[in-house]
Amino acid sequence: MVSPTCSECARSLSASEAYELNAKIYCGPCVQAAAQRAKEAGQPVAVTRYVDKSICPRCNTYIGEGGGVAAGPVRLCLPCSEVVQNWPYPQWLKLSLAGLLLLLVFALAHGRRYFEAGKNLYRGEQLVEKGKYAEALPYLKNTMKIAPDSDKGALLTAKAALLSGDVYTAHLVLTGHEGGHFQNGDTAQFREVDALWRRATSALEEIEKAQKLEAQDGKEEEAAKMVHHAATVYPEFQHMDLLVNQFDAGVDFVNKNYDAFLARAEKEWSAIPVAGTASMLASALACKYAVSGDPAFRQRSEDMLAKAKDLAKDDKQSLDNLAEFEPRIRYRLESRRIITRTEYDKEFRSGKPAGK
Amino acid sequence: MFFIPGQVIAALTFPGVIIHEAAHLFFCKLFRLRVFNVCFFRFGNPAGYVIHEQSDNFTAQFFISMGPFFVNTVLCVLFCTAAFLPVWELRVSDPLAYFFYWLGLSIGMHAFPSTTDLSHLWKAAPALAKKGNLLAILSLPLGAILVVLNLGRVVWADLGYGIAVGVLGPIAIFRAISRF
Repeated sequence: MVSPTCSECARSLSASEAYELNAKIYCGPCVQAAAQRAKEAGQPVAVTRYVDKSICPRCNTYIGEGGGVAAGPVRLCLPCSEVVQNWPYPQWLKLSLAGLLLLLVFALAHGRRYFEAGKNLYRGEQLVEKGKYAEALPYLKNTMKIAPDSDKGALLTAKAALLSGDVYTAHLVLTGHEGGHFQNGDTAQFREVDALWRRATSALEEIEKAQKLEAQDGKEEEAAKMVHHAATVYPEFQHMDLLVNQFDAGVDFVNKNYDAFLARAEKEWSAIPVAGTASMLASALACKYAVSGDPAFRQRSEDMLAKAKDLAKDDKQSLDNLAEFEPRIRYRLESRRIITRTEYDKEFRSGKPAGK
Repeated sequence: MFFIPGQVIAALTFPGVIIHEAAHLFFCKLFRLRVFNVCFFRFGNPAGYVIHEQSDNFTAQFFISMGPFFVNTVLCVLFCTAAFLPVWELRVSDPLAYFFYWLGLSIGMHAFPSTTDLSHLWKAAPALAKKGNLLAILSLPLGAILVVLNLGRVVWADLGYGIAVGVLGPIAIFRAISRF
């Protein structure tokens, strides 16, 4: 190891007292004067602390003046020069990074079912934005199976359901979402769904009232008006046109306009071929037979009754309805007399309606 | 705005510090630069560092300075993508998802290169940009934004960046995927 000497005042220095400027060694006071001169001469003035080049700056091993291996601005001992040339990744780092990659794979695998739900959510959202509500609904319903508490999912599903007329699904989603509570009831999305929900339920209440009213003789026109109004309030309701058609058919029956009644019953049956619409068509055909005596109407009416029975066989509610309905149609076909349900009940059921 | 000592933040988000320094080291090795010292994590300022020799090669400078920014950002997006849906959109109580989100945000928060890293690029980029060097052209606006964001660390710009990347990244990915 060689002690540094100030190139200006020739004082012998310890390593901590020595400075370097433009490849010369100086003591503290001399380096300032040398820097000033260098500045005036337009030379570099980068003063650095003296580094003892006879020892390796990394491990302090003696390498001798000019010994060791040049590593950029310094000279290092051979082992240190190999380390800096190819700095090794520590074992713990390699293991940690491998663990991190495994964790990433696990995280992505763990999130797979969420990805599916999310994909459905975004697909549904895009379809809702395009106004394709019925198309969006299956995607959003799938999302809700995994995330029933998602505000966004619930509101989008309810919106898509309400705007495609599926009030039942909207009801299930909204009540199933944390008991009907949302984190923020002041968002535009929430307010929109709330307004839709109020519109739909008010229309449904009106329809329910109309159904009760229609059961009373002489109230058919009033009931039909209520349903027409409900249709203006909530036109999106599934099969609203058929519901209106059904109430209008009741008015046609009362007004003895059996051709119109038959046309409406045919429309109902072709749109929804179930026991109820088959019975309605059987009723309209029986009316036509009663007024015309054309046996073709009677034959078709009986065929429709048979179809109604067949369609109702697995449904208790439909069977009960048919049990009440069928004797009246048969009476109409046998007697060619068209009487209302109340009149029929009065004559043949001691004034009490049969069944429900 | 509230103040939390940097050491506490670094401790809470240590995976990001380690990955940042590991990325520096990786690019130094890739461009065969000498590395004089490495600290992957410590309770101090800076929380980690890699001391390496300077290179005259701008591509090496660019990747050594900006490499951690890209690596941390990509890892942040990936981990947050795994956790984004249950945490933000689906509101599913899944502790693992929250763990992954913490990991993603921790990594994203330490994406910014230090001002020292950027200063090397900043010196060399203008002259090379004039010669049409694409990396130099790219590094000018990117560097400027990152300098501003670095200054914004006092107002949690690093956390803001982590959240932005951890939310907007997955949203962009899922929106793109859902179109197919």
